[in-house]
Amino acid sequence: MSQPPDEPVKYIESKIHLPYDYVAGDYRALYMRALADKKILGSRCSVTGKVFVPPLMSSPESFAPADELVELSDRGIVTTFCVVNIPVIGREVELPYVAASVALDGADISIFAMVQECKAEDARMGMRVEAVWKPDGERTGDHTDISYFRPTGEPDAPRESYINRL
Amino acid sequence: MTQLRNVAIVGFAQAPIVARDEHRTAQEMLYPQVRRALEECGVSRDDIDYQVAGSSDYIDGRPFGFVMALDVMGSWPPRQDLHVEMDAAFAAYYAWLRMQAGDCDTAIVCGYGKSSEGDLDRVLNLQLDPFYLGAIGLDPTSTAALQASVFMEREKKSDVDLAEVTARNRAAGARNPDALLREATSPDDLAATEWVAAPLRAGYLAPKGETAVCLVLAAEGKAESMCDHPVWIQGLDQRIEMQNLGARDLAVGGGTELATRKALAMSGLATAADCDLVELSAANAAEEMILCGAMGLDPEKPQPVINPSGGALCGHPLMMTGLIRLGEVFRQLSGRAGERAVPDAERAMAHATSGHCLQQNLVIVCGKDRRWT
Amino acid sequence: MSSAPRTEPMTAEMVSEFVYKHSTGNDIGRFLAGMKDQKKIWCQRVRGLGVAVPPVGYSEADGSPAGEWVEVQPRGTVTAIARVFRPIAELHPSDLPFAYILVRLEGADTALAHIVVDDLDRLFIGSRVEAVWKPDEERIGSIRDIAHFRVIG
Repeated sequence: MSQPPDEPVKYIESKIHLPYDYVAGDYRALYMRALADKKILGSRCSVTGKVFVPPLMSSPESFAPADELVELSDRGIVTTFCVVNIPVIGREVELPYVAASVALDGADISIFAMVQECKAEDARMGMRVEAVWKPDGERTGDHTDISYFRPTGEPDAPRESYINRL
Repeated sequence: MTQLRNVAIVGFAQAPIVARDEHRTAQEMLYPQVRRALEECGVSRDDIDYQVAGSSDYIDGRPFGFVMALDVMGSWPPRQDLHVEMDAAFAAYYAWLRMQAGDCDTAIVCGYGKSSEGDLDRVLNLQLDPFYLGAIGLDPTSTAALQASVFMEREKKSDVDLAEVTARNRAAGARNPDALLREATSPDDLAATEWVAAPLRAGYLAPKGETAVCLVLAAEGKAESMCDHPVWIQGLDQRIEMQNLGARDLAVGGGTELATRKALAMSGLATAADCDLVELSAANAAEEMILCGAMGLDPEKPQPVINPSGGALCGHPLMMTGLIRLGEVFRQLSGRAGERAVPDAERAMAHATSGHCLQQNLVIVCGKDRRWT
Repeated sequence: MSSAPRTEPMTAEMVSEFVYKHSTGNDIGRFLAGMKDQKKIWCQRVRGLGVAVPPVGYSEADGSPAGEWVEVQPRGTVTAIARVFRPIAELHPSDLPFAYILVRLEGADTALAHIVVDDLDRLFIGSRVEAVWKPDEERIGSIRDIAHFRVIG
């Protein structure tokens, strides 16, 4: 036999296994730990005054430092949203649910949030919402300390108040 | 040689190399260095036309991780940007090329990455093909040891030679405030360190570390106002070796030899001995000897001085080691080298590498004078 | 920047795993089939390198297409050694100290990378080694169908 087999082995399987030990960074660490105290921290740009949440070391927009930490309200405005009909891997959520961008009062950019206690068809831009926190003693200082946001029942915010804070 | 644009290094900022920064992300480590580099040049971010970075997504630990760094590089309003998954020295090479096109005059070149977060042995295994070399679990120290064994057998080098090369670098590193290892160590002590992958002992391996760096390039006409002593790029070349380690002659740095010859010819120099100093990206002592052979360098001779910074053997922040070599050349030729300054240095050569066993090699010759007039 | 907030470090350990099924293509695929089905090592004659092992279907020197298949012997001479003292779990192919080698197989012009696990004190550059195949039912079409090489002289 002067040839290898005509029929090739078509695939090889490989598993890439990469362990990591990430550093959160002090800005992110302060933000996360403050959540345990029902506080939401942002950082203020030293040039434009814009407030970022979660806090950033610098403004991506102005390139200036943003090292002043500020405490934000846990209430805000739905700036944009979508209605999700597929389940979240690893999390039990009733379908459909509303995934929204929420501009917290005092912040210039919005955070990603789930809105509950709200029918999908009632979700709308400009809707006022508030954080629903995990009970005292159950908050550990991570993103899940805010269970979700829910409508406050306040009048909707005018479009001009959030259109630049998407 | 065709008339090319004169491009100079006009600024360089580097944080001291540390084993691990527990307080900052890679991006947070980079931001202060970009600002420092621009402040050193006396310019604002808007004065920079082009940006390019070198980093590894596998070190960042996320696909497209490099986009995270754009937020700290001053990328808005929308900039012209490029990223290479290579040592950031190669990013500097692309910035130089981009400037030759003529429509940008200034650039920042960034390198970053937290080696401490991931497992570099596993990450760098992925540089190999998945069928043959990757499949048997080769890591960079093992491939380096394979190469070292071939070189040492061929050139009759011993454990003692590796210890002496390392000790020379360690002695130099003691004068470099940005180095990770800053204590001179005797050859005997180094030769007493444990084997990692024989013929390489722990002492002969570049210690991994992390930092962040930003280098500023500017073309003639802009460079003069940004720096009191611009350091001009006079010649450069980049060469690659085959991927299959078994098909290469690992004892010689063929690609490096060619890149050096081309870069020297471009800069109008006859040999490497015409340089006052050379900074090498050797991740172990055997690699340094292979590079010296390929580049025509003799550590016994007073000139050129090899690795006055201590080289990678005093601190090896992956993806930045090569750009730091170029930054060291800038510091030496612009009077910023402090205690490690090589007296009266006029010309210097920087070497950068990527891949296993010195696979890709970049050589940049710099001098105090413009190359093309 | 001196006023930058400071706090106790926060870290998070995570493992990323990516499972891939790499297409081998016809050339690597037939080489692997030869290992699996025939316990043979097939190489390709290519321009610039001679008989290249392992084959990839082209010349790694100049990119020209590979020529004829050539069978090489599962034994040869060691050209490079890396002695691994502390194997890395889930990466290295052995839990005990072993050596990576490059071996020039009889009939080949380039060297194959593989491992030696026994008789490490008898392993030197220039040593003769021979492939030890995995049993029939364990060969799957992989470079590791050769379990390891053993020192024969």
